Amino acid sequence: MSFTRIAMLSLAAIALGLGIAQFTPSSNVLGVLTQAVIYAIFASGVGVLLRQNGLVSFGHALYFGAAGYGMGVVLALDWMPAELAIPVVLLAIGLFAFIIGLVIVRVPGIAFGMLTLAIGQMIYLLASRARGLTGGADGMGINWPSTLFGYSQAALLKPATLFLIAWILMVVVTLALQCILRTRFGTMTEAIRDNEERARFIGITTTLPRAAVYALSAMVTGTAGMLSSLNTGFVSPENLHWSVSGITLVMVVVGGIKRSIGPIVGAMVYILLKDLLGDYATYSMAILGTALIAVIVFSPEGIVGAVERLRIRLRYGPNGPNVHRNSV
Amino acid sequence: MLTINLFNGLVYGSLLIVMSSGLALIYGLRRVVNFAHGALYMLGAYIGYSVALHSNFWVALVAAPAVMAVVGVLLDRYGFRLLQDREPLNVMLVTFGLLLILEDVVVFIWGKANYSLFTPELLNFQVNLLGNEVPAYRMGVIAVGATVAVGLTLWLRLSRMGLFVRAASTDPITTSMQGVNTDLISASVVGLGSALAGLAGVVAAPFLSLSPHMSSDVLIDSFVVVVIGGLGSLAGAFVAALLLGMMQSIGAVYMPEVSVLLPFVFMIAILIWKPSGLAGSRT
Repeated sequence: MSFTRIAMLSLAAIALGLGIAQFTPSSNVLGVLTQAVIYAIFASGVGVLLRQNGLVSFGHALYFGAAGYGMGVVLALDWMPAELAIPVVLLAIGLFAFIIGLVIVRVPGIAFGMLTLAIGQMIYLLASRARGLTGGADGMGINWPSTLFGYSQAALLKPATLFLIAWILMVVVTLALQCILRTRFGTMTEAIRDNEERARFIGITTTLPRAAVYALSAMVTGTAGMLSSLNTGFVSPENLHWSVSGITLVMVVVGGIKRSIGPIVGAMVYILLKDLLGDYATYSMAILGTALIAVIVFSPEGIVGAVERLRIRLRYGPNGPNVHRNSV
Repeated sequence: MLTINLFNGLVYGSLLIVMSSGLALIYGLRRVVNFAHGALYMLGAYIGYSVALHSNFWVALVAAPAVMAVVGVLLDRYGFRLLQDREPLNVMLVTFGLLLILEDVVVFIWGKANYSLFTPELLNFQVNLLGNEVPAYRMGVIAVGATVAVGLTLWLRLSRMGLFVRAASTDPITTSMQGVNTDLISASVVGLGSALAGLAGVVAAPFLSLSPHMSSDVLIDSFVVVVIGGLGSLAGAFVAALLLGMMQSIGAVYMPEVSVLLPFVFMIAILIWKPSGLAGSRT
């Protein structure tokens, strides 16, 4: 994709968001949509790690919750204004993830997933048992100031506004990831993903770039956590639980990991489906599990992959184009 | 005081041996990290509970693993075998989906309430162990763990089938070229591993409570055990299971605030030191 095309798509996406915010009358629906967008950003973080590093994280809820806890603690102790705290907390998450990443990206394949699971669960247990400021298992309220970036809290928390903020952030994050990963850095991480040993032979240091991708993905997920903490004004150990990481990973795979839009589609489909199922929500996990298995078995490239295949089929007939299609 | 802690550590360690040996066996042969193992453990416990209510504990101790063995064979035949050429990640996510489904199945059949199984009459007394009164049932749990560890080791080292299992774990293609029916071996091993998960569930039922969420704690601990021990290594898993059990029960007394963190810190330390685990050369 050329830069002009990306820019046009981004503008179109923002216009779409404006349209949705403008013409959705029910604030309940907007609330669900906001939730979907927040999870879409969360899933983008997990997705970029998988796409760029080939690594599966079962512990990204850690960074989702950490953003909330970070803001909660900083605001409760009144260390700095909220406007400054937002980037500081995000950078802190990135730095923390980078240091952790330096250690754990060296562990190959599946053990990496288990390691992230262990680290995530460790922080979950720590948060649910901690007394005092963070409120242990009860969670903590986040003391957002009455005005943020010059806008009053009441104005920011209007469903349409909040949705739009989340939507635009989603577009910006996707765009930023595209730009970062189209550089030499992106190519380098792909080389390492495909064959670490060869990458090392041709003189690329392999640990640093992978840790950087890990930090990047943590910061994307942290952005989602930040939005969620603004949306609910609350954070609890539930946000850190490994099932949250697991569900998000499901969204990523169901959406499709080959393209950056995949995790977004997966998250939207999941949240909207869950809302539609409503009455059956008791068994929503079983439905989700079935969907996951069905997608992996019948369309390993996820929803986006299936749509793409369909498009190619419609354009070129059942035998597919006669060209080598590897332009992913 | 210390004796009783070591004893309790040994009890939990034995439970983890039963759980994680199943995980390690399945990983060794199918290269699958089986998230559904926790659900099989939970199903075993619930089935054991229902059977024990209608007859007695000893019938349950046989029935639940037997049912799980059938489930395991089916899982291998219609799951792992069909997916064997797929990316390990995809198969892992399929087992995760299975975990989600089975958890809801348990809620559907047994509800969300917590149950606990009575201790069987035969073992419902206290034993004097170096001046401490300990429940005989817990001694029984240790015996089960020891039996499983010794039994599996002997089976793998001495029997003909054990030889095939070891061969197929090292190189399935060459093994099948030598005329070994590796599909049969896989089905048996996954069946056996699942039966062990069911056994762990029944054995745990009288001293850990039954709830739809019971799977995740033990599952994560077993993952930690398997990773520390070295993925797919049985001996490594035995050592790691005992270490973990001890660490948790001793930590709970001397460092109560951080005891839950110990297994994870231990795992991280081991993996930094040896990325393939205590006994592992495979990844």
